[in-house]
Amino acid sequence: MLLTQLAVAGIQTGMLYALTAAGFALIFGATRVFHVAHGATFILAGYAFLEAVQLGLHWSLASGVALLLAVAFGLFMDALVYRPIQKHEGSFFTVFVASFGAGIAMQALIQFFFGGGFATISVPLTRAAEVLPGLYIAPVFWVALAVVVVVFAAVSLFLERTHAGLGLRALSENPELLRAYGLSARRLSALAFVLGSALAVPGAILTTVTTGIQPADSAHVMLVSLAATVVGGIGSIRGAALAGLFLGLVENLVVSVVDTQWSQAASFVVLFAFILFRPNGLMGRAGAR
Amino acid sequence: MIAYLVNLATLIAIFGIAATSLNLLIGYAGIFSIAHAMFFGIGAYVAAQVALTVSPDFLVAALAAAVVAGALSLCLALPALRVRGEYFVAASLGLQMMASTIFAEAHSLTGGVGGLVGIPPARILGFDVASPDAFLVLALACLAVTLAVVRTLMRGSFGRSLMALRDSESAAEAFGKDVRALKTLVVVVGCFFVGIAGALFAFHMAFVNVESFTLEQSVVLMAMVIIGGAGTLTGPLVGVIALLSLPAALSFLPFIPATEIGTVQQFIYGALMTALMIFRPSGIVGLSRGAR
Amino acid sequence: MITRRSMLAGILASTALPAALRAENEPYVLGTLFPMTGLLSELGSIYANATALGLEHVAADRRLARPIVLKAQDSQSTPQGGAVGMSKLANVDRAPYVLVGLTGVAKAAEPIATRAKVLMVNGGGVGPDLAGLSPYFWNIIPLANQELPTAFDWMKRNAIKRVALIYLDDPLGNALRKGLQEGLPAIGASLVGEFSAAPSAQQFSAMIAKIREARPDLVYVASYGTQQTQIFKQLRDNGMTQPIMTYSVGGTPSVAALPESEGILFTSQVADWDAADPLTRRFVDGWRARYKDNPSTYAQNYYNAVLLYTQVLERLEKEGKPVTGDTLREAIGSGTFDLVGGKARFSATGAIDMPTQLNRVQNGKFEKAS
Repeated sequence: MLLTQLAVAGIQTGMLYALTAAGFALIFGATRVFHVAHGATFILAGYAFLEAVQLGLHWSLASGVALLLAVAFGLFMDALVYRPIQKHEGSFFTVFVASFGAGIAMQALIQFFFGGGFATISVPLTRAAEVLPGLYIAPVFWVALAVVVVVFAAVSLFLERTHAGLGLRALSENPELLRAYGLSARRLSALAFVLGSALAVPGAILTTVTTGIQPADSAHVMLVSLAATVVGGIGSIRGAALAGLFLGLVENLVVSVVDTQWSQAASFVVLFAFILFRPNGLMGRAGAR
Repeated sequence: MIAYLVNLATLIAIFGIAATSLNLLIGYAGIFSIAHAMFFGIGAYVAAQVALTVSPDFLVAALAAAVVAGALSLCLALPALRVRGEYFVAASLGLQMMASTIFAEAHSLTGGVGGLVGIPPARILGFDVASPDAFLVLALACLAVTLAVVRTLMRGSFGRSLMALRDSESAAEAFGKDVRALKTLVVVVGCFFVGIAGALFAFHMAFVNVESFTLEQSVVLMAMVIIGGAGTLTGPLVGVIALLSLPAALSFLPFIPATEIGTVQQFIYGALMTALMIFRPSGIVGLSRGAR
Repeated sequence: MITRRSMLAGILASTALPAALRAENEPYVLGTLFPMTGLLSELGSIYANATALGLEHVAADRRLARPIVLKAQDSQSTPQGGAVGMSKLANVDRAPYVLVGLTGVAKAAEPIATRAKVLMVNGGGVGPDLAGLSPYFWNIIPLANQELPTAFDWMKRNAIKRVALIYLDDPLGNALRKGLQEGLPAIGASLVGEFSAAPSAQQFSAMIAKIREARPDLVYVASYGTQQTQIFKQLRDNGMTQPIMTYSVGGTPSVAALPESEGILFTSQVADWDAADPLTRRFVDGWRARYKDNPSTYAQNYYNAVLLYTQVLERLEKEGKPVTGDTLREAIGSGTFDLVGGKARFSATGAIDMPTQLNRVQNGKFEKAS
C-alpha cells in the first residue's frame, strides 16, 4: 500500500510539474528563450490568487486575477526584456542572465510585500479520506487530474488545429516561412508567452491550497521546469509534460528506498544522468548541440 | 568603522578570487557554470577539516582545498565536454543542487546544516595571521597571485586558444586545437583557485555550513562576473566591489527597514542583471563590442 | 549624483563624529542577534519587541550611570547569518553582552563570541547541548531536556507506545531526536520511525505515507517556523488523526492561526501572566498595552535578559569594576536576580532551572493541558 500511496502523491505532484514545465517548454520551443523567470510567474500567480481570496473574491474570480497577472508578467518579459536583447545581440546566455535577474527581482518584490514565510488558504478539498484500506486521497487530487486533462486537451487542440497554433510550432524552425504565410513572428512570440505563462497558473493555485506557497518556490519551480524540459527533450511540449510527471513520481517513490531528505535531490540526479547519457531527452529532436 | 572596512575588504578579496576564477570559465572559455559555489564550498570544507584535524597552517589547508576542488571539478568538466548551451547550464544546475544536498546531509564531513564550528585561527609557518589586518594582507596577497596567474595565462597561447574556442568551437577545432584538453584544463584551473577562496573564507568566518554554498551563492558569483564584465581582468573585481558594498550602502538609507535590506538588495541585483543585459551586455567595464 | 554623494558623506560624517567624542561617557552596548528575516522571522520580532520593552522600562528607571544602547544584527535564522552577525557585534560594535536565540545560530556564533570574550544570553534556543557550551554562554530558557520529561509524562499517562518523529536535520532537530531516543524506552515506548526533513523541504506527502505505514500513536515534530506549520497542515490533510506534539516553538502565533493546528500539544516553561508581583505586572501590562495580546514565554525570557544585564551592570558600577565579558560572567555566575517569574540563579553550566508544562492549541488559543 505504501507504494500505491507514494505513487498517488507522486502523480499529484507530477501533474502540477507537468503543467508548469509544459509552459516553459512551449515558450522555449517557440521562441528559443530560456525563460527561467517562469518560476517568478508561478509565485506571482499563487500570491495573486491568495491575496484576491483574502480580499473576499470568489475563487473563480481570484483565479482570473492570477491568470491576468501571470500573463501580464509573461508579456512584459517578452516585450521589454527579451525583444530588446534579441534586437542587438541575443546570445543564449545574455537572455538567460536577463531572465534569471528578472526572476530574482520579482521574487524579492513578492517577499518584500508578503514576507518570506509560506502562505496558504485552508479549503476542505485538501482533506484526504481513506478510499481503500490504507490509501488516502484528497478531493484536490481529482480536481488536479481534471484540470490537467482539460488544459492539455485544450492546448493540444489549439496547437494542432488552429492557424496560430501551427504557426507557433513553426516559429522556432522557420520564421521565414511564417512571413511568407503572413503571420507575424512578433505576435506569435507574444502568444507563446501568453499561453506558456497561463499554463503556470493552475499549478500555482493548487500548490497554494495544498502545500502553501512561499517566495522561495520560484527557484524550485524554475529548476523543475528546466529539468523536465531537458529530460523531456528540449523543444517538445509533450516530452516536458511527461518528464514533469516522471520527476514528480521519482521524487515521491524514491522515498521508499532512501531516507526522506534525499527526495528532492533525486530529480537532479535524473537530470544529470539524462544530460550525460541521453541528452536528447525522452522525446527530443535529434542532435543536442 | 575601520574594523568594518577591514572586514569588507577581506570579503572583497575572497570573493574577488572566486569571481576571477569563475570568469575563467564564463568569460574566457564560454563555459556557463552555475555550480561555482559548489567548488567554493568544497574548498571551504576541505580547509576547515584540515585546520580542525591536521594543522591550522593556512598554506597546508589552502593547498589541500585547491587540489581537492580542482580534482572534483572533473564532475563539471564531464558535461562541459559533452554538451553546450542550455544543456550545460542545466547540467551545472543539477550538479549544484546535488552538491547542496550532499553538503547538508554528509554530517561526518560537513557537519550538516549545523556546519563546522570552531575553525582555529589561521597560522603560516607558525606565525599567527588571524588578526583582521594580517588576514586582510593574506587575502589580498592570494588575490594578487590569482590575478597575476590569470593575466599571464590569458596573454599566452592558452588564453588565445580558449578565446578562439569561446568564439567558435568548430573553428578552434579546425585549427587543430585540442578542445577537450583545453576545456578540462580551464575548468580545473578555475576550480583550483575557487578552492583557495573557499579556504580563505573558512578561516575568515571560523565557521562554514551549507548555506554559504547554495544555488543562491552560485548566482551571486555569476552576477558579480556578469555585472562587472565577463572576459575582462578587472570586470569581476568591479562586480564584487559593487555587490558587496551594496548592503553597506543600503544600510545608510534610513527609509529601508533593517529587516528588509536583504530583500531590497536581492531586488537590486536582480534588476541590475536584467538591465545590464538589455543595455550593456558586456558589463560595467566590458568593451562595448560585447563580451561574447 | 552630487547630491547623493554629499548626502552619503554627510551620513558618514555624522556617524564618525560621535565615535570620536564618545570616549568619555560611552553608553553600555547591548547586542542582539535575532532572526529578523528567514524561516523564523516571526520569532525574531517577538524577541526584538520584548528587548525593546525591557530597554524602555530600564531607561525609565534611571538606575544606571550611563544609558544602554542597542546594536542589532540579523541572524537571518541561519547559522551562517549568526556567525557573520556575531563577528560584527564582537569586533565592530564591541558589544560585551549579546542576546541570541535559536540553537543552530547560537552554536555557530559561540566560538566567535568566546574568542572575543563576549557574553551570550540565550532566551530562545532549546537544544540541550547549549548548556555548558562555553563559559560565556548562559541560558535564560529551560532547555529541551528540561521540557521532554513533561512530554514523556503525558505520553505515559495516555499509553503512548509508538512515536514517530519528524525532525529538521539541524542541531536542534538532532538534539531532540537524541532526547527522544534516550527517554522513550524509560516509559515503555519507542521511536517507530525517524524522518528527516531538509530545511527547504515543503512537500511531505511521501514522508507522511511512510509515517502512516509505521502506525504511530503520536507524531512528534521537531522543526520550526514556516516548515513546522506546513508539516502540521499536511499531516492533518493526509488523514493523520493521531496526537501531534512539539516543543516550546509550538507557542508562536502562526501556529495558533492555522486551523489545522487545533489540538496540537507542546511543552513550554510555566508562565503565569496573572501573578501579582510588580515585575510581572509591569511586564505583562506593558506588553498587553503595546501589542494588544498576551506575551509569550519567549518575550518573558528576553525581557528578563535585559533586566539581568541591568542588574549585573548595576553591581559592576557599585564595585567600580570595568564592563568586560569576564566581569559580566563572574557577576552572573555568583548572583541572584529579580526577574519576571521570581528570583533566579544560574547553574555552573549556565542553565536556568524553571518548571515546564504541557499546552494545547484550542480554538486558535494556547491553553494549559493537563
